[in-house]
Amino acid sequence: MLQFIVDVLIRTSDIMLVAVGLSVVYSLVKFPNIAHVQYAMLGAFGTLALNRTGLPFSLALIGACIATGVVAVLLNVLVFKRLLRSGSSIAMIGSLAISMILIAVVLGIAGSRPFRYSSGLSSPITLGSTIISVDQITSIACGFGCVALLAVLLFKTGVGRSMRAMSSNPALAAATGVDGARVVNGITFLSGALAALGGTMLGLTESVHVGLGTNLLLPVFAAAILGGLGNPLGAAAGALLISVSETLVTNLDFGWLFGTTDVYVPVTYISAASFVILLVALLFRPYGIFDREVRRV
Amino acid sequence: MKFAKELCISAVASALLSIATASAAQTVSLGAVLPLTGASASVGDDQRRGIELAVEQVNAHNGVLGQKLQVVVEDSGGNAATALSSARKLVSVNKVPVVLGEFSSGITIPVGEYVVQQGDVHINIGSSSPAIRKIGEGSFSVIGLDDLSARFAAGDVFAQSLKDVAFIAPNNSYGQGVASEFKKRFESLGGKVSSVVLYSEGQSTYRRELQQMSRSSPQAYVYSAYGQEAATINREAYELGLSKKKWYGIYLTMCTSDTVPQAAQGQEGLEVASIGAGGKTYEQAYREKYKEAPKSSFGSYAYDGVMVAAAAINKAGAADPAKIRAAMKTVVPYNGATGTIAFDDAGQRKEQPYDKVKFDTKVVAR
Amino acid sequence: MYSFLLHVATLSCIYALFGLALNLQAGFAGLLNFGFVAFAGVGAYASAITSSHGYPAPIGILFGVVAAMVVGFFMARLGRNLASDYWAIATLAVAELIRTVALNENWLTGGAQGISGVPALFRSASGVQNDPAFFLLALAMVAIALFACVRLSRGRFGRAIRLMREEPALATSLGYQLVPLKVKATVTSAAIASVGGSLLAHYMSFVGPDYMLASETFVIWTMVMIGGLGNNFGVVLGALLVEAIYSAVPFAKDYLNISSDIAGAVRLGTIGVVLLGCLLVRPGGLLPEKIRSAT
Repeated sequence: MLQFIVDVLIRTSDIMLVAVGLSVVYSLVKFPNIAHVQYAMLGAFGTLALNRTGLPFSLALIGACIATGVVAVLLNVLVFKRLLRSGSSIAMIGSLAISMILIAVVLGIAGSRPFRYSSGLSSPITLGSTIISVDQITSIACGFGCVALLAVLLFKTGVGRSMRAMSSNPALAAATGVDGARVVNGITFLSGALAALGGTMLGLTESVHVGLGTNLLLPVFAAAILGGLGNPLGAAAGALLISVSETLVTNLDFGWLFGTTDVYVPVTYISAASFVILLVALLFRPYGIFDREVRRV
Repeated sequence: MKFAKELCISAVASALLSIATASAAQTVSLGAVLPLTGASASVGDDQRRGIELAVEQVNAHNGVLGQKLQVVVEDSGGNAATALSSARKLVSVNKVPVVLGEFSSGITIPVGEYVVQQGDVHINIGSSSPAIRKIGEGSFSVIGLDDLSARFAAGDVFAQSLKDVAFIAPNNSYGQGVASEFKKRFESLGGKVSSVVLYSEGQSTYRRELQQMSRSSPQAYVYSAYGQEAATINREAYELGLSKKKWYGIYLTMCTSDTVPQAAQGQEGLEVASIGAGGKTYEQAYREKYKEAPKSSFGSYAYDGVMVAAAAINKAGAADPAKIRAAMKTVVPYNGATGTIAFDDAGQRKEQPYDKVKFDTKVVAR
Repeated sequence: MYSFLLHVATLSCIYALFGLALNLQAGFAGLLNFGFVAFAGVGAYASAITSSHGYPAPIGILFGVVAAMVVGFFMARLGRNLASDYWAIATLAVAELIRTVALNENWLTGGAQGISGVPALFRSASGVQNDPAFFLLALAMVAIALFACVRLSRGRFGRAIRLMREEPALATSLGYQLVPLKVKATVTSAAIASVGGSLLAHYMSFVGPDYMLASETFVIWTMVMIGGLGNNFGVVLGALLVEAIYSAVPFAKDYLNISSDIAGAVRLGTIGVVLLGCLLVRPGGLLPEKIRSAT
């Protein structure tokens, strides 16, 4: 049981931060930004690069998050705002183009092989009947800690209130004195930084490679959509739900059906499980599970 | 307008290239499709070095048919579609009569089938799935197939009183072949394979696969995996505490080529024997040129592949694929870096020597 | 060299088929389908599976078309309730699902190995695939598809789906039922894509689950956007252009002696930059959609 919880937590922290970052910015930009997962990849490589120049890991991480946040803001101002004028579908395709360019740049500089932050191994710690490594604990703590901080920011501070106001009704927010441009840039920066943090954590527990972002694309979007695009805490819940379903599917022993022991669903069907959940959820709740908006029929 | 410009550039490029190819008529060109990028890039690099060494060796001894030998190396990208495009380019643009490659059985089979369909000669230098036999007339293997390796591995593991094992290999024709052969042999000896997991290539984590395997509480883990994926598997096995049990790797240098030494310490396995009669010469030449020991045994198979092809072309008297096919059958037995190479009726290597090895900061003999 | 150019031309024709199909769905009907490659993949696998059981190629193509139409039907019904952004991701999920099944079910699809040795459609005397004949077939298919798409887009159906794209409320008020229209557009598009997929299977003599990676859909989208969304001739041009760039890169690699990783990066980066440039400067594509005047 403990192993199950640990597995769920590990998987959740893999995708949670990036999904929350995506959701936070969605209500502002109104198009699914496919390049968002590449920010995670950029962040992971950024931390790697800074770490290699001699900075300790935590400083490198902060540096990479800031840098990625800035990149996100720049791309939003220079590219996506212009593309949005032609419609959200053009913007979505544009984000596809940006993804390709980001991958190409990293591929050209770093190559296609995977990297690790440190050349040593992370020693396993035994907690009761389960085993977990230091890296995984770091990732889980970071992930959940940041989401908690974000919740505090959004719901308990003035800045957060402005952000939520901009997200739900930009015109009205501007009318009440919220500085639109600054808040938008702030939210974009935040989403980029969150993605970079999530990417670095994933690079810590798995490895840093150029396909990191692409592998995250579907799970992150599934989590964000399940929670309702624009609902950051919903995205965290969505990540948890997906993680639970994936872990459940591969841990259940179906041996009793066949009269033997140790019959499991092949691991490659894991992602299929989360997509089926997503599709089924969308059939019944087209705007996400936590959707409370009233729409005209 | 833009399109016309693109067309001009492509036309100019192709014209330049045809001039370049025409002036290369003084050389005999062979082709090779290798995994220069992707999970097996370390082995692909070693294979490329083996080929380079062979080309130098051949050209130092009068070349082929009195002309210089050249091997055009293309990247397979670690997947069949890219490999097929590379093979296509080699066959139709570079017009090579022989194509060597690849490393992964899942790629060697489609490439081999395409090459022999086009009438050229295919030489398998790295794959060992029994399914290689079905490529057909015109395909030859200088490396032994897995019915031989699985038998060796099963015997070796059983002899150590390990009777209940879990098995993991990649989900492609190599992995499927070696898994089923091993299970067959091991169970016929009286052992039990309590769990067989075929992992999907290219994932960045294999934690769940390892957890599924560990649930059956085996005495030992038998595995075979490509360089970078094996590194992930070994690392995660260490993190899950699974490396405390015995790990046995089939083709251990491939399995540990990218792994952190600490994670693989104490593993045992088998390896294709790379030191045959001519092996010492190969190792010396490798050390001299690349300033390090051979990274894997697969470089020497690539070396032997080129040497056998050159010998066959010399015997055939012309760089004509049909004549080379006939000559390949008569140029053996050949004494290569990997021992004596002889082909059976299907063009596959008759005997394959294996070494018992273990990992002690690197792969050494047991 | 001639045969390599023929190779590029043949691939361009196959991708042009994909482009025309996607254009029908996305360009005219405005349905953002990111799981498009599933249609092509289903067609390719159907051809490979039926021919490995010994049936002649046309049966395989027909089978593929039917299967792809079923998938298209399912996708369109899924979109009944969903906003377009959500539907785009949902189609991506469906394609991934199909790819995962193809990856795992060895007995049906050969698993990660795929199915190799798919017979060539035209064999010359020595048993080698007859490339020029295949090229002519592909060209003929493109011509037929182009003709069909142009006729469809000029006819009532084309007008209806364009109206649905621009003003769905108006379309409903005029009596058009949106969901059947969406279904028809998706299913037709699936059929054309499936034929392209079958051709690809026979041409490459190999089918694998990698054909259905999400990145493949993105390549087709790139061709359509660069060529001109909503313009049939535009997407054919786009397919030719992108395929030319893709194929020129390995030669540049040989010529400039750069490593494979860099070559891959250059190829991807060039496509990305060209696409972005097109979107910023000329969002309609090289040959934008022709809006007919009222008179």
